[in-house]
Amino acid sequence: MSVTFSEIRDKVRAAEPLTLEDGVALFQHRNLMELGALANEVRERLHGDRTYFNRNLHINATNVCEASCRFCSFARLQPGDKGAYTMTLEEAWGRLRARVDAEDPITEIHIVNGLHPGLPFAYYTDLLAGLKKIQPSIHLKAFTAVEIFYFSQKFGMSIEAVLQALRAAGLDSLPGGGAEIFAARVRKKICDDKSDADQWLEVHRVAHRLGMRSNCTMLYGHIETVEERVDHMLRLRSLQEETGGFQTFIPLAFHPENNALMKLPAPTGVEDLRTYAVARLLLHNIPHIKAYWIMLGVKTAQTALWFGADDLDGTVQEERIYHMAGADTPQVMHPTEIVRIIQNAGRTPVERDTLYNVVAEGDALLPQKPFRRDVRRRTLEVVS
Amino acid sequence: MSDNKIRLSAVSFLNARPITYGLERDLGGTPFDLSFDLPSRCAERLVTGDADLGLIPVGAYAASDVDLRIVPGIAIASHGPVRTVLLVSAAPWDELEEIALDGASRSSALLLRLLCHERGLRPRFREVPHEDVLNAAGGKTGALVIGDAGFEAGEKFPYVVDLGAAWHDLTGLPFVYAVWAGRPGAVDAEATARLQASLEDGLAARLTIARAWGEAHGGPPALYEAYLTRNIRYRLGAEELSGMAAFFERAHAAGLLPRPVRPRLYEVAAAPTAQTAARGPRSIDALLSDAAAGARLSPEDALRVYAEAPVLELGAAADQRRRALHPDDTVTYIIDRNVNYTNVCVTRCKFCNFYRPPTNKTEGYVLSREELARKFQETVDLGGVQILLQGGLNPNLPIGWYEELFRWMKANFPLAIHGLSPEEIRYIAEIENMSIRAVIERLVASGLDSIPGGGAEILDDEIRHAISPLKCTTDTWLEVMRQAHALGLRTTATMVFGFGEEPRHIVSHLERLRALQDQTAGFTAFICWPFQAEGTRLKLRDDTTAMRYLRIFALSRLYLDNFPSLQVSWPTMGPEVGQVGLRFGGNDFGSAMIEENVVSQAGAIFKLSAEDIERYIRAAGFAPRRRNMRYERLATA
Repeated sequence: MSVTFSEIRDKVRAAEPLTLEDGVALFQHRNLMELGALANEVRERLHGDRTYFNRNLHINATNVCEASCRFCSFARLQPGDKGAYTMTLEEAWGRLRARVDAEDPITEIHIVNGLHPGLPFAYYTDLLAGLKKIQPSIHLKAFTAVEIFYFSQKFGMSIEAVLQALRAAGLDSLPGGGAEIFAARVRKKICDDKSDADQWLEVHRVAHRLGMRSNCTMLYGHIETVEERVDHMLRLRSLQEETGGFQTFIPLAFHPENNALMKLPAPTGVEDLRTYAVARLLLHNIPHIKAYWIMLGVKTAQTALWFGADDLDGTVQEERIYHMAGADTPQVMHPTEIVRIIQNAGRTPVERDTLYNVVAEGDALLPQKPFRRDVRRRTLEVVS
Repeated sequence: MSDNKIRLSAVSFLNARPITYGLERDLGGTPFDLSFDLPSRCAERLVTGDADLGLIPVGAYAASDVDLRIVPGIAIASHGPVRTVLLVSAAPWDELEEIALDGASRSSALLLRLLCHERGLRPRFREVPHEDVLNAAGGKTGALVIGDAGFEAGEKFPYVVDLGAAWHDLTGLPFVYAVWAGRPGAVDAEATARLQASLEDGLAARLTIARAWGEAHGGPPALYEAYLTRNIRYRLGAEELSGMAAFFERAHAAGLLPRPVRPRLYEVAAAPTAQTAARGPRSIDALLSDAAAGARLSPEDALRVYAEAPVLELGAAADQRRRALHPDDTVTYIIDRNVNYTNVCVTRCKFCNFYRPPTNKTEGYVLSREELARKFQETVDLGGVQILLQGGLNPNLPIGWYEELFRWMKANFPLAIHGLSPEEIRYIAEIENMSIRAVIERLVASGLDSIPGGGAEILDDEIRHAISPLKCTTDTWLEVMRQAHALGLRTTATMVFGFGEEPRHIVSHLERLRALQDQTAGFTAFICWPFQAEGTRLKLRDDTTAMRYLRIFALSRLYLDNFPSLQVSWPTMGPEVGQVGLRFGGNDFGSAMIEENVVSQAGAIFKLSAEDIERYIRAAGFAPRRRNMRYERLATA
């Protein structure tokens, strides 16, 4: 290999951008602990021990989808298919009302749907407007770039016009889904009939230009090569150079159950940690790396907090997409539990909103003592 | 001959020099008489009673008609190439029709016969006098060359097999060539300490020994020094004991030894280990880098490391230590089955979901022979090599029940019995009113192969009393293991944390294990996991966060410097974190468990096949190998 780890380390410490070759070398570097330590250096340089989470609700309003992505276990192609569902607006709004009635102080709703061929544009604008009406302060992070592009095609509007209309109805930011792997070779095989890399990036470019923030993702661990992963991250990095609009990068591990790629094994823990570490090192200009616990599993996500990640996502209620692909994680995690996991990892929990404003930290966060103090009990309480 | 002195019979070959070096320089103040003999003669003198202790070849130990014990801590061994035990030939090994053996060396001949047997080769063996061996090699006849002759012979023949390396390739274990052995009671703690001190002197003087040998016998001292420092290893630790046990068992199975033999050590307190001299407080970085290089952590230092070391640095130090101990980047696993023969138990531990008290007649069970036979046969069919047999403390099962079960198992299934944790053994002793040793002896006689290290939880009575007041004390648990080791059994050790213990309890647990291992070298591996709380009567939340597990695991790798293997616990932590544990000091992925009943009743739900396990191991950058309970590597099916 022409580039050595210590050369890369020097570059990282000098805050020089890494190259494609560097990224590939990092994926191939055998010493996981050394790689993790370097990613951790960058993570601590940016955030210290601070580790973010939020309180959020997921709404997947429909799983009817025109696209036929081979990695997806969620979509049902036709409205009448077994398992297909489309929420009425009342049902979708009801999800938020239930949280409000329960006095659950959520700050964000994350909305991602299938590409439903029959819903009118008004369904989406009404959905957003209705949610805002119930809770005006809620942040609506909704519709992946793939959905936005689909709307622009289907309703004959420019991307900008789609975004403007949704914004007027209450849209605040875009989630990062649908990016998968940008390389055309891979997209042709796993998601041939949805927006391509340039279209995905263009949606985010326009959103950033309009002053919106967004996230970005990468679906890894299926048929892509290491070079294609690095290429994917570098394309995100160069758009970020241009716009500065990405907040968070979220590597998503492929889950093989109930989809057309079932014979592939899921990536393992070491590969997950390696991907997080490389992402932290390559994406120097994207502030946050999120260990999405729903997908990684709570334990691996916690470990990833030492391999470059600084965010655990949120309390995530009612997640459907990953659970239909076999994720056996719980569908909701209580904030107390998230705080405990972060503290137990030796990190400092910070509750944030979608835009990374601090909602609560320190003593204000929760009446929760650090774990170490928690175990100093002499006699054990026992149910008898 | 002095009446009170211990008569030692040693050999004067180069590779034995470091062992006797200190004794030769300072015999006056020691309780020893030292004489030098040929290796075969050393063993004869032991048998005839002309010597109390002999530095004897392992073959002689195995063949001895008198009961012998081994002095702990000292051996002539190799981890891979030995350079002085070679099969040389003009044709490839597999094509040899005949092999000439050096009549003077029965142990090496036994090793060669065994290695041929394992390869499915059946050459004729012919004993020739020592000086004629080299001349015998040619054509389809190979020769087993022993000793200095090997240094040159290796270059003269197109085909050379180093038997130390061949053994290591086969089993992944060291080979032990010779040990100090004698009749029971021949040495006490002081004499043992003297012998160990003599070796320490000799190890420090290897360069001097090499030079002196060069002057006396010709040849380059650098070659001799390299031989004494790189090829020959002088410690008799847990891995070497495993190597010996594996050799005896394989040789017995191949019909080369008439009866089963186990390496049994003198039961003497360990020599005081060289403690690191008192120094001022050291930085965590210094502690970690010393421990990674193999220095022993004190309990105080371990507490500081636990509290203060950044997790990645702690993990990296453990990873470095693991690499030093297992340099070939192989990770092992076993295919076995957990069979819980009864769930009836009198102990009522608060953390257990599995047991039913003897009064519960509807849900209590003892597995029938039919059920057991089905489980065992399935295990064999799936490539399993062992049954992990554990159960509750059932007052209705006398020792005879176990003896019959073991004999029946051994007669019907090719499976090792890794069975009965210390608590079960103690309980059998209690209800039978027998000593612990007598119970183990009878169980071994009926087929018990090894003892699992379960039931240790936290080896600190403060914690034990809180969570399992009826269970054995720390001392009893360790005593059962001590007795088992003394009888030549190998065992594992475990720790379950998350019972509200403090770090000092964890370190105390590790310290007790390390101290016993210093004396017996009988533990093969250490396994720890967090307590699984769901549904148990302990009102604690699961302490299953990955970071605490990885910290404790990495600390354990550094602290337990005399334990060869650390096993990750994927059944409780999940395969992802289990796999990450391989980079925090683990070198074993545990078991492709066909069945597990206890932790799965408390919320652990993971299941993996052998194929999955190998995939996880490979993805972590290691080569997977199957093993048996001794951590001896097995040929892949």
